[in-house]
Amino acid sequence: MTTVLAPRTPGEAAQALSEATAARASVTVAGGGTRSRRGRPGPPADRELRTTGMDRVVAHEPADLTLTVEAGVPVTEAVRIAASAGQAWPQAEVREGSTVGGVLAAAASSRQRLRSGAVRDSLLEVVIATGDGRLVTAGGRTVKGVSGYDIPRLAVGSLGTLGVIVQATLKLWPLPPARAWFGAGGPLADRIAAAERALTGGVRPSSVLLGPGRLAVELAGPEDDVRAPEGLAPLTEAPAEPAGEGLVEAGVSPALLGELAVRLEEAGLPYEAWMGVGICRVAVGSAGDVARVRGWALALGGHASVIDGPDHLRADPWGPEPPGVHLMKRLRERFDPAGILNPRMLVWA
Amino acid sequence: MATTQAPAVRDRFAALLDPGRVIDHPLERRLYGRDGSIAQGDCGLVVLPETTAEVVACMRLAHDLGIPVVPRGSGTGLCGGAVPLDGALVLSVARMSRILEVDPSVPCARVEPGVLNLDLSTAVRHLGLHYAPDPSSQQACSIGGNVATNAGGPHCLASGVTAQHILGMEIVLADGEVLRLGGTAPDPPGYDLRGFVVGGEGTLGVVTEITVRLSRNPPHVTTMLLDFPTVAAAGAAVGGIIGAGVIPAAMEMMDQKMVVAVEAFVRADLPVEAAALLLVEVDGTAAEVASHTAVVERVGAETGAGRVRVARDEAERALFWKARKSAFGAVARIAPNYYLHDCVVPRTRLVEILARIYEIGAELDLVIMNVFHAGDGNLHPLIAFDRRDPEQVERVHAAGTLIIEACVAVGGVLSGEHGIGLEKRDFMPLTFSATDLEAQACAREAFDPEGRMNPAKVLPIGSRCGEIVLDAGSLPEGTWL
Repeated sequence: MTTVLAPRTPGEAAQALSEATAARASVTVAGGGTRSRRGRPGPPADRELRTTGMDRVVAHEPADLTLTVEAGVPVTEAVRIAASAGQAWPQAEVREGSTVGGVLAAAASSRQRLRSGAVRDSLLEVVIATGDGRLVTAGGRTVKGVSGYDIPRLAVGSLGTLGVIVQATLKLWPLPPARAWFGAGGPLADRIAAAERALTGGVRPSSVLLGPGRLAVELAGPEDDVRAPEGLAPLTEAPAEPAGEGLVEAGVSPALLGELAVRLEEAGLPYEAWMGVGICRVAVGSAGDVARVRGWALALGGHASVIDGPDHLRADPWGPEPPGVHLMKRLRERFDPAGILNPRMLVWA
Repeated sequence: MATTQAPAVRDRFAALLDPGRVIDHPLERRLYGRDGSIAQGDCGLVVLPETTAEVVACMRLAHDLGIPVVPRGSGTGLCGGAVPLDGALVLSVARMSRILEVDPSVPCARVEPGVLNLDLSTAVRHLGLHYAPDPSSQQACSIGGNVATNAGGPHCLASGVTAQHILGMEIVLADGEVLRLGGTAPDPPGYDLRGFVVGGEGTLGVVTEITVRLSRNPPHVTTMLLDFPTVAAAGAAVGGIIGAGVIPAAMEMMDQKMVVAVEAFVRADLPVEAAALLLVEVDGTAAEVASHTAVVERVGAETGAGRVRVARDEAERALFWKARKSAFGAVARIAPNYYLHDCVVPRTRLVEILARIYEIGAELDLVIMNVFHAGDGNLHPLIAFDRRDPEQVERVHAAGTLIIEACVAVGGVLSGEHGIGLEKRDFMPLTFSATDLEAQACAREAFDPEGRMNPAKVLPIGSRCGEIVLDAGSLPEGTWL
């Protein structure tokens, strides 16, 4: 039986983790649970810590472009608060049900990454509760700053294995006056060429997405810049994400993303390539699909991880170990000495 | 201090490189005992490797001999991060200065750490590209040093500091192990070690190769100078522009004392009677530049700007920037030395903190001038002084402490872009608890368990991870701690 821990404050979360470490009880960390089907499959942990009870909005300083919230605040709520002051958190991938802490722990960057950057670049200050129950604050609440070692960057993408993110200060940006999607179909070579034109043209797109049979470009800025580029037509909504039993996220050099797309279209796998960024999300239905996509990504000097899917797709969620695993292990030992946190999320750490 | 290093040790390093690239002369070592700060350290041998293999060989030997190592780029850092203590080995990467590859299809460049910041942008200009972080020292500072300090610059307001422009790196750890972290393929699985190394101030290893993101040059740029009758009015304009939803490419403020000094130096026809000057640059498409320029002009009018001087051409734009970037050179006409501070406050507290800085200057009878990144609240109070006057030096240190305390008191942080190094090390407890500092010590120790990489920097004396206490290092006389 998994015991549910539902702290309402960072202090309670730290206390719960301290107790779990003392008992050597494994702990699954969950925000909204929208990105929990990842890592290696296995039996449930002894305890599950849900962050959704930590839902205070600590400070919104529109004039300073910062928002400080507890980790359990829904990402939709954070975005709504920002928008109420004409601002945005454009780096975050917004899903219904996700929490701010979950988005950060999973390093879930948005499709606007091309222009806005990765979500790890938007975290100014973080408070984590370490595996042994210490509350550690790192970074600083100002929009710029060097404040010692960049623990916020380690926390983003650590999937809860170094500590539970309990509070975050985010850097906000002004909402663009206008934004819209434009699209085109046609042969792949033509779409890749159109993507290249969109990337190098005068207007910096916020997103250039290649998918099976389509290209979608999002433009944002003054009205005059949000006009259909040559050969593209307005779309009424953002393109749908690739859907399948599971989802693989590959990373390759942006210069080689078109080559990966060629193989994916030949194989008939639904995909979405973030041109100019180097990310490609692929819908997969079997372990064989995972292996094929990973093989192509590795051949292009990249990598591929299963970021969502049922157990049978996650026998090997990551592929080859990345460089520096021994450093990751040492970091893990120092932040979660008993190794209780999300033990299957990053097994080699 | 002036003693020659043990010949046996010198000869062992000389066998790895060649005798000309191992420096043992006391005078030269004294030079390597300093950086852009006012601290004088105690430098042991200096080695000048030219390849990663040579760095590895030096690091292994230093490991075997148990010698602390201080990596050094161009030595322009302002926080004492490259100042060696207790006769540490200085490993200079200045001779690793090749641009190895430029790939416009990413776009990115792979460079050795000794490549100078401006040299990289110059080398890719014909491709319509540039390297975005542009510290004021960009003609002299190295990319490796920029990585160590997570350097900034005026254009980081919109485009972000160094960490956002580093795709990957090769690093040699304290024991000589070589790792390649990150790369052009984004988000490799596991912790973001690449991101963590940026800003590591040479305490995590020696970065021997860097893959940097290059940025496309904006199609249009407009640069404006606005003069204001009061500092408060200039501060209101900064807030008004951001509040109107415009994040300019750069937004720099200069106060009257600084404008007067710069004008005497550069002769750019600056309004020396103004209390404060704003240099605002907007870039992007024609539509973006037009709408942002209109906002700057409107807010300027609303907040009492005397006039908005728009650079008519590239030459005038270059002159505006020359005025901004020569500020520190201009101070040489006022006093023989200056102490350049670096701290950040929430932008809304800028005016209040400037008033406090003027008060501190008056209380301690010091000339304090300001030229800084107003858009992100990153202050650079500059204290002019004469280091030959020990009593004055004491007041300079006292003013520095008061400024830092004042910034932290209004919710600021210790440094915006210069780093912690020696200078801010003992101020870290102002913003972090013992638990926070212990966590930082643990993260550092994961990379360098023996604490031999640039010891005594960043974390205060006595910071520890569990039972391991970081080597304190003895502070030379004349440091301001």
